[in-house]
Amino acid sequence: MNELLTGAVTGLLFGFIMQKAQVIRYDRQLGALRLQDMTIVKFMLSTILVAMVGIYLLFDLGMVKLSIKSTILGANIVGGLIFGIGWGLVGYCPATAMAALGEGRYDSLFGLLGMLLGAGLFAEAYPFLKATVLTWGNFGKISIPAALGVNHWIVIVILVAAFVGLFYWFEKKGL
Amino acid sequence: MRAKTWSPYVAGALAGLLLVLSVFLTGKYFGASTTFVRAAGFVEQSVAPEKVAGMEYFLKEKAKLDWQGMFVLAVLFGSLAAASLSGDRRAVPVPAMWEARFGASRVRRWTLAFLGGVIVMFGARLADG
Repeated sequence: MNELLTGAVTGLLFGFIMQKAQVIRYDRQLGALRLQDMTIVKFMLSTILVAMVGIYLLFDLGMVKLSIKSTILGANIVGGLIFGIGWGLVGYCPATAMAALGEGRYDSLFGLLGMLLGAGLFAEAYPFLKATVLTWGNFGKISIPAALGVNHWIVIVILVAAFVGLFYWFEKKGL
Repeated sequence: MRAKTWSPYVAGALAGLLLVLSVFLTGKYFGASTTFVRAAGFVEQSVAPEKVAGMEYFLKEKAKLDWQGMFVLAVLFGSLAAASLSGDRRAVPVPAMWEARFGASRVRRWTLAFLGGVIVMFGARLADG
């Protein structure tokens, strides 16, 4: 099927689901960052839980390919810290900013325009970053099970148990 | 479909299923931030094509509409459809939590949203996520 068409259908469904889960709201995102409202954490961990099990099942059957990104400690840590500062200010991540606009929360439009500028600035800084931060602690395309040298299902079972434990705790605390 | 809200666990699990189906049927994992690079390249190209043609990062992520570009655009319409079905769509210029803390000034909120957008995208690209 046409790549643009499948992208559109997938995005429509994903946007629909995110709106229904109320995860595209500034108040929910800041609520998570302020540790007051775990709605988006529940949503994200549930997504990861199902996708992790489903994709590794299909992977074991030889039906899908994994898409493992490089672990570069410098880039991941510095980038993550910068991302966190920006996220706390704008209150949306890139995809949720688009969805928030669809819902009528149009402060996200200014966030989206800023994101365009941020992408442009990153392109300007790329030659410098490539020679510095993007070389610090480069471990290549590793995964947790490969780095530990264990079967991936051991990691999956531990993570599923940890997520379910967290869910139980969130509900008990009314978060 | 008309309910204002779904349980985050159910909705999250559905999003997980959608991701598994997407990877199974088309090999595509979800992402959004590369699209902003392509879009920025597209905008800059129309102003300074020679400059963009010589920039390494824009050669790596070319200014074209691809699967992810359509995905990101469609997310807006999916959210619009869901909000419309439940009568949940309304124009909100300043989020409630922001207003309670920083006041109702639109200029202040929009300026900080813009600034936050710049920073969040720079960080996302650096961490490659």
